[in-house]
Amino acid sequence: MFMTEPNAEAQGPILDVTDLVVAYGNRTAVDGISFQIKRGEIFGLLGPNGAGKTSTLSAIEGLVKPGGGTAIIDGYDAQRQATDVRARLGVQLQASSFQSELTIEQIVQLYAGLYGVRLSRQAIVDRIREIGLGDELGKRFKSLSGGQQQRLSLLIAVVHRPILLLLDEPTSGLDPQSRRQLWDRIEKLRHDGGSILLTTHSMEEAQSVCDRVAIIDHGKVLAIDTPELLIKKYKTDPRVKAVARGAVTLEDVFIGLTGSEIRD
Amino acid sequence: MTDSTLTSTRPPFGMVFGSLFRADFTVLLRSVRMIALNLALPIIVLIIFSLHSGQGNGSAAAGLTAGGFDIGLALTYGLMSSSLIGYSITVARDRDAGVFQRLRVTPAPTWAIMASRVLVQLVVNLIMTVIVIVLGAILFKTTFSFGQYLLVAGVALLGGIMFLAIGQAVVGLVRSATAVNAVGRVLYVILLLLGLLGSSGLLGDTVKSIADWTPVGAMINLFESALSLAAWGSDQTTAIIAIAIYIVVGAFIGIRWFRWDSR
Repeated sequence: MFMTEPNAEAQGPILDVTDLVVAYGNRTAVDGISFQIKRGEIFGLLGPNGAGKTSTLSAIEGLVKPGGGTAIIDGYDAQRQATDVRARLGVQLQASSFQSELTIEQIVQLYAGLYGVRLSRQAIVDRIREIGLGDELGKRFKSLSGGQQQRLSLLIAVVHRPILLLLDEPTSGLDPQSRRQLWDRIEKLRHDGGSILLTTHSMEEAQSVCDRVAIIDHGKVLAIDTPELLIKKYKTDPRVKAVARGAVTLEDVFIGLTGSEIRD
Repeated sequence: MTDSTLTSTRPPFGMVFGSLFRADFTVLLRSVRMIALNLALPIIVLIIFSLHSGQGNGSAAAGLTAGGFDIGLALTYGLMSSSLIGYSITVARDRDAGVFQRLRVTPAPTWAIMASRVLVQLVVNLIMTVIVIVLGAILFKTTFSFGQYLLVAGVALLGGIMFLAIGQAVVGLVRSATAVNAVGRVLYVILLLLGLLGSSGLLGDTVKSIADWTPVGAMINLFESALSLAAWGSDQTTAIIAIAIYIVVGAFIGIRWFRWDSR
């Protein structure tokens, strides 16, 4: 189903981030981050506000030029082979926006074309119906509810069957039903062979959905492993024990490692 | 990674550009403001001028085809409104909304994202030009040759590129859509008054000489020449040089300092 079928013989990770540095003027948002994502894996990037999650994704997407390090996607360098990389990536930005004069049908048509996917009108309508927006074909993006916008954004992100899907806080602002539906879709994408890198503030979701997570703060990776192993590793850490209420959870580990102070 | 993957995953450029062009054209046709700036404004100006055509206005210049000045002025209004104000506001609005960021994470080349918008605007400029000339010919009861139509279309194309370059410079230097809107309108009034009043000679020869080098002055000069099939002279050379300078400088500033997001 995916653009590149999962290749049993494929070597190496689908994403290899090495010593990535992203700076905005004097402020360093990402400070030498390194991590890898395996093929078919759901990987969560967790961190408080301003930790460097979105900047990391932006560097992988090619939206910002790193001050150092590399991001290699399926063997292609995100900076030097940006077009090849973007053709392989599906992206859902934290706040997606589309031309306000276009209907959702026209938006899907536009983005299918941008990825070189030829879709008949019927195929476009079918895909929109699949996400429950069959009655909204002629509507503008702005007139959709938050959940509907997220569903459409995800549909557009996967319109070309990407091998790696980047989701920046995909469940932000969604009600539990929409959230559950979104995770079902993401799980289906993984089942079909895709790999997913997502950021989220929901530790419960990360714990239940992600195969592995990286906890980052101040632009650095603090810990990286499966949620279960992170809990096991840090449950006796004094910083974690100090914030745990009962059995240690991923959220306890997260707060223990990144601190309790509120970030803007 | 395999070579076959590489060749099969890059989308064909024609399909990418075609998708952008179709979407941008749809956006422009759906935008009430753009339709008003592109078409309604020059037509209204033309009708107002035609109602006063018997009262001795600027078209009385010796040897000028009836209505030539008025039609040229209406076309300049239209080109300036749509390319300088309409284009820059739309780009700034989409930049504020994050539309460009979403497009930039696709395999579409960034230059193609902007080129598609410019091309759509130029096509609409040409359509507006033809409509205004035909309407002008009817209102002023005059006939233009095919050659005149071609000349005016060429001048309109050149003028459209010039005003787009100036509009691009505005969105290059000014970040927020609100500020771009304000700067564009102020610039519009200044350019219009300087070009119109200066070109008329009312403010003296020195100001007229300066006005001939302004975008509006140069455009009126060329439109007048095209519609009256005037012989090529120093005025036309001045106008072409002025327009070329505005295109090069505007495009340089607009590309050099343009930011894809407004943060």
